[in-house]
Amino acid sequence: MKTTLRNSCLSLCILALILGLGLTAHAQTPAAAAPATPAAAPPTPTLTPADTELKDAAGKAPATADLAKGDPGGTITGTISDVPAADSKVGVTLPDVANQVGQNKIAVNFVWTLVCGFLVMFMQAGFAMVEAGLCRVKNANHTYMMNFFVYTCGLFAYWILGFAIQMGGAAGNSNLGGLQPLASEHAITLFGKTWGLFGQSGYFLAGHTYDVGVMVIFLFEMVFMDTALTIVTGACAERWKFITFAVTSVIMGALTYPIYGNWAWGAGWLSQLGTNVGLGKGYCDFAGSGVVHAVGGLTALAVCMIVGPRIGKFNRDGSSNPIIGHDVSAVLIGCFILAFGWFGFNPGSTLGASANGNLRIGTIAVATMLAGCTGTLGAIIYMWALKGKPDASMSGNGLLAGLVAITAPSGFVSATNACIIGLVAGVLVCVSCAFVENFMKVDDPVGAISVHGTNGLWGVLSVGLFADGTSNYGGSWNGVTGSVTGLFYGDASQLAAQLIGISTLIGFVFTFSFVINLALEFFIGHRVSVETEVAGLDIPEMGQLGYPEFVFRPEPVMTGA
Amino acid sequence: MAANKSQGSYFGLFLAGSTVLCAGIAYFEGGTGKALLALGAIAVVGSLFGFMGIKPLEGKTALKPGPEGMKLVGAAVAALGWVLTLTGIHLTASTGGRIIFALLGIGVSLVGVIYILPAAFNKNAFWKGNSAATERASIAAAAKTTMEHSR
Repeated sequence: MKTTLRNSCLSLCILALILGLGLTAHAQTPAAAAPATPAAAPPTPTLTPADTELKDAAGKAPATADLAKGDPGGTITGTISDVPAADSKVGVTLPDVANQVGQNKIAVNFVWTLVCGFLVMFMQAGFAMVEAGLCRVKNANHTYMMNFFVYTCGLFAYWILGFAIQMGGAAGNSNLGGLQPLASEHAITLFGKTWGLFGQSGYFLAGHTYDVGVMVIFLFEMVFMDTALTIVTGACAERWKFITFAVTSVIMGALTYPIYGNWAWGAGWLSQLGTNVGLGKGYCDFAGSGVVHAVGGLTALAVCMIVGPRIGKFNRDGSSNPIIGHDVSAVLIGCFILAFGWFGFNPGSTLGASANGNLRIGTIAVATMLAGCTGTLGAIIYMWALKGKPDASMSGNGLLAGLVAITAPSGFVSATNACIIGLVAGVLVCVSCAFVENFMKVDDPVGAISVHGTNGLWGVLSVGLFADGTSNYGGSWNGVTGSVTGLFYGDASQLAAQLIGISTLIGFVFTFSFVINLALEFFIGHRVSVETEVAGLDIPEMGQLGYPEFVFRPEPVMTGA
Repeated sequence: MAANKSQGSYFGLFLAGSTVLCAGIAYFEGGTGKALLALGAIAVVGSLFGFMGIKPLEGKTALKPGPEGMKLVGAAVAALGWVLTLTGIHLTASTGGRIIFALLGIGVSLVGVIYILPAAFNKNAFWKGNSAATERASIAAAAKTTMEHSR
């Protein structure tokens, strides 16, 4: 008992000692700090008049209690209280505000570019509907699957190689924070000038390209690349082996598209025609009539030649038979989806909405709308006047042709010129479809070669003709001071640069695609067997019908006499 | 035989090989990079030869052999036009001269693309062929199969 009492007393003493020490220590903290205060306190910063004003503004900012009442008018949300201060004791200073302004600019541009990229990604749905709708029902699953799988093949190829080739040397874009990790362009020196050939950083988005700005430009450029790839699937539909399509798409996403993309957009030699040899502002392709659509269209032409026409398309005398698609409603809805996505394609190509002349996004969007409108008009009036009916599929192609053609000049032309460019494109697509089918004997079920190839080239050319010199994206383009100006506004040298771009598209891109696909013909073979083609590709290639409850009619046999 | 397991396997090998090959390119400076490059290239080439091995099993296509030399000539003429345009950039300093060279180059390329290549591919095109009767028979058989599938 005595021992227990002693132990209890001892425990109480120890507890009291601990509590006492703790309390003392706690109580002593200010006391200990107090003697040091005069000597150790940070020097009071010298406040500039601006800092004083900022302090006043901070004092007048709405209190938490005011905000807690709600802000239905949005008048007190977003004030100086929301600007982070580097030193909370000092409060918000002028450098803090400047930093926040800079970050806001980049944030606005990031969001703009990403959202536009999301819109472009949605264009895949439009392409799928247009292409599948223009094909026969027995190939619907196969056509939809090509449009679905091209996204995966292209994205993967672009991630492992394509992006590095295209954008690996594209540093310097101030809209997205400079993109300094992308500063490695392989160049050669010819005739005393340095010419960029391909980028060398950004493989797998690893290492120093693990960067916020790089991720934004990757997403945006990737969906553009995928648009180019999906053009080919339509032109070769209804007879293309799925495996060859997949391999071709990987190669196109890794090499064909990125090489030309680098030359035009990634500090390559076409963009240097202005700085190196004084041709306008260098090759100008604002959103990709050449880089995306002509590359896709010309590759489609190369593959279409190799894969050959569908059975029944041409008669023995060379005349052609129309092969009607199964779903005109899917075609027209798909066209509208594409037109919607084009608002990401063209205005998004500013890569920002804030600073560097980017307020032109409204002009670009309107030019895009108008060219689509006049493209549709051109095609409908042409078909109605010449053939007697406002053909639905050509009307859709007219809309797309106008949009394709305005893609390159959209950043440089007025609304009136956009209308002219679109109208020409609408007629051109009808003429070109007839030429490709009747003269070249190339079977393009959806008209992709004419919509994207022919009108992509027309779009590139139209920059050299119609650019009016009023755009000002930070005062220069491709490193040349001034605005892009075409022949009709006084600069013939811009037309020369555009023609060199067109020559490169036909002479290099087409040939490169042709040789690659000829090699694939040797190794894999592009075309399905006769039995598969006639049966429809859905069952033999994909294992199931797109529309299993449809009952097919036997097809008339039209191969020769 | 249309799409099949072998195709899927070789496509997997092709993708894996391409990935390793690109990793080799990315890290080419080091010894590992060079080894990856070689390994990837072997896998890609292996997959292509694998595809070639199963190609004859996939059935007869409607295409007929054409003049291969003419196809290559067409491609060469298309490329020649581009070379002509590039030459023009350095041969003359005048804008007009460069425009003329570019137009010439485009014209030459178009001859290759619009005239020579279609002529090469259409020379022995199946739709011109004399064996239409045979094809009709096979097509009719296939069409019947289509009907059976749909039911």
